[in-house]
Amino acid sequence: MRTWTLALILAASCFAADDREAPPPAGTPKPFVLPESNTFTLKNGMKVTLAQHGSVPVAAVSARIAFGHANESADQVWLSTFLAELMKEGTSTLTAEQVANEAARMGGQLDVTAGTDESVASIEVLSEFTADAVKLVADVVAHPKLPESEMERVRANNLRQLAVQLSTPQAQANRAFAATLYPNHPYGRLFPSESQLKSYRLEDVRKFYADNIGAQRTHLYVVGLFDPAVRKTIEAAFDGWEAGPAVTRTPPSPVASKRQLLIDRPAAVQSTLRLGLPINISPAHPDYIPLEVTDSLLGGAFTSRITNNIREQKGYTYSPFSQVVTRYHTAAWQESADVTTKFTADSVREILLEINRLRKEPPDGKELKGIQNFMGGIFVLRNSSNQGIIGQLGFVDLHGLTDDYLKTYVQRVNAVSREDLQRITETYLDPGKMTLVVVGDKAKVEDSLKAF
Amino acid sequence: MAHYGRRLAAAATLACALAGSLPAAESASQFTVPVTYYKLPNGLKVALSRDTTAPLVVVAVYYNIGFRIEPRTRTGFAHLFEHLMFEGSKNLPKGEFDKLIEGNGGLSNGSTRFDFTNYFEVVPSHVLEPMLWGEADRMKSLSLTAESLKNQQGVVGNEVKVNVLNRPYGGFPWLDMPQYANKNWYNAHNFYGDLADIEAATLKDAKDFSQTFYAPNNAALALVGDFDEGQAKKWIEKYFSAIPSSKLPPKPDLAEPTQDSEKRFSKTDKLAEKPALAFAYHMPPRLTPEHYAMVLLDQILLQGDDSLLTQELVKKRGFTDSVDGGINLLGNQFNYNGPMLWIANLIHDAGVKPGQILAAVDPIIEGLREKPVTHEQIGRALVKLRAQFYKDLTQFGGLGRADLMASFSLFDDNPALINNLERELREVTPELIEKTAKQYLRPANRTVLVLEAGAASKAPNTGGAQ
Repeated sequence: MRTWTLALILAASCFAADDREAPPPAGTPKPFVLPESNTFTLKNGMKVTLAQHGSVPVAAVSARIAFGHANESADQVWLSTFLAELMKEGTSTLTAEQVANEAARMGGQLDVTAGTDESVASIEVLSEFTADAVKLVADVVAHPKLPESEMERVRANNLRQLAVQLSTPQAQANRAFAATLYPNHPYGRLFPSESQLKSYRLEDVRKFYADNIGAQRTHLYVVGLFDPAVRKTIEAAFDGWEAGPAVTRTPPSPVASKRQLLIDRPAAVQSTLRLGLPINISPAHPDYIPLEVTDSLLGGAFTSRITNNIREQKGYTYSPFSQVVTRYHTAAWQESADVTTKFTADSVREILLEINRLRKEPPDGKELKGIQNFMGGIFVLRNSSNQGIIGQLGFVDLHGLTDDYLKTYVQRVNAVSREDLQRITETYLDPGKMTLVVVGDKAKVEDSLKAF
Repeated sequence: MAHYGRRLAAAATLACALAGSLPAAESASQFTVPVTYYKLPNGLKVALSRDTTAPLVVVAVYYNIGFRIEPRTRTGFAHLFEHLMFEGSKNLPKGEFDKLIEGNGGLSNGSTRFDFTNYFEVVPSHVLEPMLWGEADRMKSLSLTAESLKNQQGVVGNEVKVNVLNRPYGGFPWLDMPQYANKNWYNAHNFYGDLADIEAATLKDAKDFSQTFYAPNNAALALVGDFDEGQAKKWIEKYFSAIPSSKLPPKPDLAEPTQDSEKRFSKTDKLAEKPALAFAYHMPPRLTPEHYAMVLLDQILLQGDDSLLTQELVKKRGFTDSVDGGINLLGNQFNYNGPMLWIANLIHDAGVKPGQILAAVDPIIEGLREKPVTHEQIGRALVKLRAQFYKDLTQFGGLGRADLMASFSLFDDNPALINNLERELREVTPELIEKTAKQYLRPANRTVLVLEAGAASKAPNTGGAQ
């Protein structure tokens, strides 16, 4: 593979002749300093982090709550979604319409979204309304009405969403891939059945709230330009809230094994691929950052090997990418791509070939340096918007990392060696233990996939 | 709604950054965008805005050629050509510009829109000079080869498949509605392109297109971020000033005839499990008082949970979980330069008929045509616009700011318009909103598109209305 790619580059070089100019050199990198943040804990156990950032007068207020799909039992799939949606439907003192109007008056939109390991109630507003936004978020999180009157509408919306999402090949592939990686665990249950959605009662939602939401499970972030006196508003708005349940988490211990699932989508012009495996390490593990670097070089960056191969050289696909999907105390690596039907097996073959190539031979220093620089730059970009900063701080808090994690991140990315990449690929990315999911035209692709 | 991006993931995030826009309302929070504007002798427009929040810089090159005026026999060509701009230039063989960008810690992408095609990098600010050099290299000496054309025909074919052909609601309503609502071919053809047209494109087509449209006098360069203005000007002069300008063809007549009766269409989406409905109105001409009034009407009717259509169709009637849409679904209310539609769309259950939904929409629209909105409604719309504008200014190192500055340079020769928007919006009166609604939200100006769910395998499960 390497020689084949090299041959193309050489051919292009000949074509471009000898008078090629080199790019002008870059200047000296400017120092990047993470925004200062200040964290404190209220008497009821709720954590609060404040960070001043930016030049434009807006501030983001975000309550991240340690509950989500991970807290759902097998007969509660999407109950978190019901709860999150009902939380937007009014509080003990405001109607749903008043909540919407209040948010709009501040220039924001209040979102409550159920996630896997945590769920989020957030709003981004003009700076002068930061204190009002805190009060609104506090009201919605601590005193939601969870009204009976909206239950059937929320149910109808979820049934519709279920049908719409599962009509996409990507959702079908994700569902099968997760179920294979995480049998008997909430991480493996991405979608409920229709009958489940029809079975949930309002009292189930209210009990789910009581069992899962409270001050101890909540971390409030305020990031942007705002009056530091907002601290007093936060204390007043949340101090009376009960501590509620302690955080509980039961991460899975998935076992990687080779599987292949073919889901028929008759007449599909593309096959939707998922190839990957669970990896039982968390961000605190010394191999985690080397795994991220490996992923970027293999399939995460646009200039990565898999993307260069199946897109830029072969034209089999438009938007292939790999990623490390990080859950609480576990992770998974996966490559995702939608490829032209007749190139389904060819695409799988090339992806495996790129993984195996990195298992056999470390990358050269220049290729690795390019990826490290890429990750360093993206890190700055991630930490230069209010929402991005909340995402980074929330990641550190969810995974129980120290402040050092962000401060030393770029340094540790740069410390990863060529040999680390080969070792990581050999240790964690064994094609003999990977699950392959294909959603496509079975009649056209089934035979060709027997090779894998 | 950025379906035209070179890379889906990055393009989708751009859409978030650009969706909706703009400032308003007098209050404690004010922010003026610093703007420096000039032109090189070869016609290249340059707009600079410094912001030292993070050590990043956005480099954005916008060409005044969108999919609207691509060649008639080559639908989808403007977008295919966008891909070819990433396939190498004289000093940067295929893949080398990407490596220069990512290898220096940056991101890049391109997108094709109604009236422009853009290319941008978000990079650490110390790599500004190589980025300017690289953009100049592909402006003046793009390498067009049979191999890269064939490769990108494959990639673009896959892009159309993943975004339209293998996807329920693919192209609905962003690609479909202009084709139904408009009459003039320039506004009404398949912008993504028929696969056969994409496959038929030749190297000669690409060379002609490049020579005609990809010249400095048909482009704008915007920089946003942490850079030294004097130094940046020197580099821009050094790398761009020797690129020759081209003789541009006259702009074709994009005018859309006035619509004199409502149009209704339906299409069957064989992959969709649930039906959907979209309706669209032709917009007032851009940057007129009525246009600004429509920007406010969009906020009042459609943007946010407090909007009238969300309250009516989602909250009160339970027809859907979300009503989406807006002005220019492939950008924002300012970054286009021709006829435009305001579109609203929703997915609903089979038990609810399109007629029921329109019967709920009509009184809301008619209400706006019959009596003026309240000052409170205008106030909320202005605050929402201003907050969205500020958020856009800061996303992705300032990409939203670069987009508006480049668009106002390209179309209006005045990027400082970015600082006039708030004033223009504040001048809109309840009376002007009523007049605009009367004229533009009239039934005869509307096109309705019904999407039938071809994959609906069973009876509607619950109905939506409670």
